[in-house]
Amino acid sequence: MTATAQTPRRTATPDRTVTFRIKRCDGPGKPSYWQDFRVKVPKNSNVISCLQQIAAEPVTAGGERVTPVVWDSGCLEEVCGACTMVINGKVRQSCSCLIDDYAPADGDVITLEPMSKFPVVRDLWVDRSRLFHNLARIKAWVPIDGTYDLGAGPKETPASQATHYVLSTCMSCGCCLEACPQFNLEEDRDQWDSSFIGAHAISQARLFNAHPTGSELKPDRLDVLMGEGGVNDCGNAQNCVQVCPKHIPLTESIASIGRQVTLHAISKFFRG
Amino acid sequence: MRLVTVAPALPANFYWNRTVTQAETSAPNAGFMARHYFLLRRLHSLSGIVPIGLFLINHLLTNSSAAWGILASRESEHSGSWAMRGFEYFWKEVRWINTQVPNLILIEVALWGAIAFHSILGFYYAATGSVNTDRYAYQGNWRYRLQRISGYLGILFIFYHVATLRWGWTFLVPGGTQWSQDFAASTLAMVLRGGSSGITFAGLAVSLAYFLGVTLLVFHFANGLWTAAITWGITISANSQRRFGYACFGLGAAMMLMGWISIFTFLVADPAKVREVETRLGSPRAVAVQAGDK
Amino acid sequence: MSQHRVIVVGGGLAGLAAAVRIAEAGTHVDLFSLVPVKRSHSVCAQGGINACNEVARQQGYSEYEHFDETIYGGDFLADQHPVLEMANWAPRIIDLLDRMGVPFNRTGEGNRDLRLFGGSLFKRTHFAGATTGQQLIYALDEQVRRYESEGKVFKHEFQEFLWPVMEQGRCVGIVAQDMRTMHIRAFRADAVIMATGGCGLVFGKSTNSIICTGAAAARCFRAGAWYGNPEMIQVHPTAIPGADKLRLMSESARGEGGRVWVPRKAKDPRAPKDIPESERWYFLEEKYPAYGNIVPRDIATREIFDVCVNQGMGVYGENQVYLDLTHKDPEYLTRKLGGILEIYEKFVGEDPRFTPMKIFPAVHYSMGGLWTTYTKGSYNPQTALTKHKSGSPAPIDAKVGQGMQLGAVNNSMTNIPGLYAFGEVNFAYHGANRLGANALLSCIFDGLFCGVSVLNFIRNEAPGKNPAVDLPAGAYDAVVQQETAKMKHLLDGAKPANQDASTNPYMIGKELGEEMTAACTVVRTEARLKQCLGKLAELKDRYSRLRLADGASWTNQSFGYARSVGDMLVLAEAIALGALERRESRGAHYRSDHTGRDDGNFMKTTLARHANGVTAVEFVPIDASLILPTARTYGKKDSSPNAAAAPAMASAAS
Repeated sequence: MTATAQTPRRTATPDRTVTFRIKRCDGPGKPSYWQDFRVKVPKNSNVISCLQQIAAEPVTAGGERVTPVVWDSGCLEEVCGACTMVINGKVRQSCSCLIDDYAPADGDVITLEPMSKFPVVRDLWVDRSRLFHNLARIKAWVPIDGTYDLGAGPKETPASQATHYVLSTCMSCGCCLEACPQFNLEEDRDQWDSSFIGAHAISQARLFNAHPTGSELKPDRLDVLMGEGGVNDCGNAQNCVQVCPKHIPLTESIASIGRQVTLHAISKFFRG
Repeated sequence: MRLVTVAPALPANFYWNRTVTQAETSAPNAGFMARHYFLLRRLHSLSGIVPIGLFLINHLLTNSSAAWGILASRESEHSGSWAMRGFEYFWKEVRWINTQVPNLILIEVALWGAIAFHSILGFYYAATGSVNTDRYAYQGNWRYRLQRISGYLGILFIFYHVATLRWGWTFLVPGGTQWSQDFAASTLAMVLRGGSSGITFAGLAVSLAYFLGVTLLVFHFANGLWTAAITWGITISANSQRRFGYACFGLGAAMMLMGWISIFTFLVADPAKVREVETRLGSPRAVAVQAGDK
Repeated sequence: MSQHRVIVVGGGLAGLAAAVRIAEAGTHVDLFSLVPVKRSHSVCAQGGINACNEVARQQGYSEYEHFDETIYGGDFLADQHPVLEMANWAPRIIDLLDRMGVPFNRTGEGNRDLRLFGGSLFKRTHFAGATTGQQLIYALDEQVRRYESEGKVFKHEFQEFLWPVMEQGRCVGIVAQDMRTMHIRAFRADAVIMATGGCGLVFGKSTNSIICTGAAAARCFRAGAWYGNPEMIQVHPTAIPGADKLRLMSESARGEGGRVWVPRKAKDPRAPKDIPESERWYFLEEKYPAYGNIVPRDIATREIFDVCVNQGMGVYGENQVYLDLTHKDPEYLTRKLGGILEIYEKFVGEDPRFTPMKIFPAVHYSMGGLWTTYTKGSYNPQTALTKHKSGSPAPIDAKVGQGMQLGAVNNSMTNIPGLYAFGEVNFAYHGANRLGANALLSCIFDGLFCGVSVLNFIRNEAPGKNPAVDLPAGAYDAVVQQETAKMKHLLDGAKPANQDASTNPYMIGKELGEEMTAACTVVRTEARLKQCLGKLAELKDRYSRLRLADGASWTNQSFGYARSVGDMLVLAEAIALGALERRESRGAHYRSDHTGRDDGNFMKTTLARHANGVTAVEFVPIDASLILPTARTYGKKDSSPNAAAAPAMASAAS
């Protein structure tokens, strides 16, 4: 959010038609193909509202009646992370992608593609199970003694809360992974644990290592992160922090975990 | 018309065909690379700085002394020419290095080992990535890409550099100049100029290759130093990363300047005049060799 | 680990809390969700979670007052005992969430910070930025992932609940469909917990996520579960109008000092900053001097609706009013409300720290849901007490088990043994109107408190002797066949050429939403509701002839949506019918032809039943033995745009 008064948006042509060029795929192992759809966009449209129009009336620009486009979405206010896709070549949430910004003039084209680092389920819908698997690998939780009434948690300074809150707003959307040159598509589950884990999980490890109770599992997390596919696989392209919709300081998390594994390795060397 | 009528067949190992509830840990029978993953990664990072980076700084300092030696050299008893003082200084530097022979071999062996280790692992690691600067044209992403390109081209340049000047593969040098440590400056000038007479096009091509090679390697080092600070967790905050970035930029700029000045100095030097200086300063052996040539 | 299994349908706060509670007791949980649980609709909750706390307590607040506020806020429609237990548990739940690592905002000393919220004069709302729901669900998601790693919870994500399986008079499992592979399968369980949230999509555009169709609850309803208070739909006063949904602008914006106003001159063309203070009409502050901008949601909604629709005083003559935060320090706003202000800026393109937000009410929450029962706790006064005087000593302490009996097997159980309803889909806690920041509380409370009841049920009741794993397959196969036939019916003849609007599922869904929004939201009348029921009958008829454009047997999204539309129509009918039959005004339900509250006839639960395709409602008594009903006015005064501009004063803005 800008600290000064807002800059006015570009004025968009009212009652214009925008072309959506959509990369489609009927299912895993099937070839991809492109289809164009022309959509009349009302004011305040976003990619989701246009996809809804296409779903209700799936006719291509060439007049062919086709199956409705399939896509993933949830909250539509950029907190659930579901509707992430590649729009005009860059990864982002489609709900917050306003047509007035992306296609202000009549006849403008918007391309929609599924994320390329996760297996396509159908059309724009990908399966991001690996994201959650990675959270399990690094034990991204606070190991509490059960859900019973055992008093309050530890006190925390506002400054520390502010740091942790930002890390904790990660919605596992996968933008940082899609844009990362070191994170690759792995359809074979056996490769998941040796292929780069990505900024998403590294940042969560930082969050839980910083929690007084969560730090109990810090050695386990660092063991995973110093191994194959861990933090060392980061190539420091720093695209992750550029595309993160929640402005999470992912590169700081990577550096912080870098320091933690360095010290962890030294400690392990001398203490076994 | 496209219409799916049957569920597509999934690959046998497709991820949702398998159910795993336990978070997997690395298998006990993992290979050498996996077992020593962290050590190898960090040695790779370290080897780029010590010894390779340190040597590079030293090498560029020595070579550029042909230029800045003019300022450093106070003794001019041997030379009447002010312009030749730099080459005198350079000659002494090279002689000092070459008189450390037992150490030199040790250093060379260590250096070669480090370069081989760093480049082989570097190729292996670089193969795990896939560049995407076409979509994400951020400065950092370009540096990531350049780091890999400079690594690939840099190792080729190092090989060419050493093969032609150290191992005497004169067939790769226009004019067939054989570099000699006793006449380091004059023979180097001939290599860069493409012969003992004027500057030839082939010579310019060699100079250009040196310019590119040195530039890429210095970038590789300076950028590598910057990323190493993140990898090792020395610079954590975005601010500290930015500040250290300026420092690395400054170091890289200084090193590039040294490299470029060196190339320029040897390129514009008159090999004959330089050889006069070398002959005058040279040891009896050098004089003998020179006499033998004639 | 016992051989028992529990199915939890829904991976929001209620479902996750239940899963954690049951898994940690050693019983295997199968968790079904339409989406990866981390993406459930709970992430959208913004403002916070209510609980009595030490600061408020030392100012005279108590768990009992929280209970009293909730009953009063819900206009005396809720059974009172479960609400008492929930309020008593609230501080325990906050402590637990704190231990789980929820980054609650902190004071300088490191204590949990508090904010003011609708319906209370005490700061009793705990919050984590303006994304409290997100932070809470992440904390529970992490705990579930822990048990998942230990093999105690198995997540079935991208699975849609289709129907409960009944055998021997109890629920013994479910049939679900994988939304990707389209496989329909039966899953056995000794108890099934529905934690499937609300039904905002029945109203087309709402503040709800795209998955909140209410279809799962409707399917239980069609299978014989009763539905309570369907007509009680909360319309949130402040939402950002949008083409695809109406995005919530949290009540915390008002809690942190946001002021609602319109220009005193209708259709004033000036920009908000050019309108002097004396020409602004802070209608909420004028009408409700005590609560000001933080009156409960139904009241704020009706006032905004009245100002815009009836008086034509909306900003620029449109249906919108200003929600103004520009008098607050931008730094403070960023720290306390950053997340929601960012949403506004992202979707509208104006920075609310410098320009007042333009907002209008939107359908937000369903107080109604599957009907559930409970066992009363130990607190049973001789006569019901009068309304609790704010800040006075509480008549009872907050010991466990005074409202509901801990572990009683029927707590939050529907009329079908073994079928439970937790969270928003449970009708129990919010009566005719939910107070802000009580929803997160009711979800987690259900999961933790009633999770124990589920465990006792499978241990001590029918499943204890006769676990689902040993039951014959017949009942399961029958439901699988029923659902497969339903799918075949919808998919047969589906082809891209089918694009007739009258039988297009998206068109039917759109018309349903528009009709329900027009007839069943802020102001309802008998005539309009009857017209609505007629429209629903027409839509049902068209639905029976529905034609799909996609016949794919792989990840067929339009098929999934079409099936839900059929269920939404059933739910819509129950909502309209309940609204029609409830001839009074209470909480969120406002009838312009019956403006008064009628405790004699209608301080009763609307109970909807569905059998043989027909929905019927009746009114059944509630247990109001703890607090006597009083008029719910929130100290209202008269006000009009032309009254002398009283010095505007917001109790929250000071």
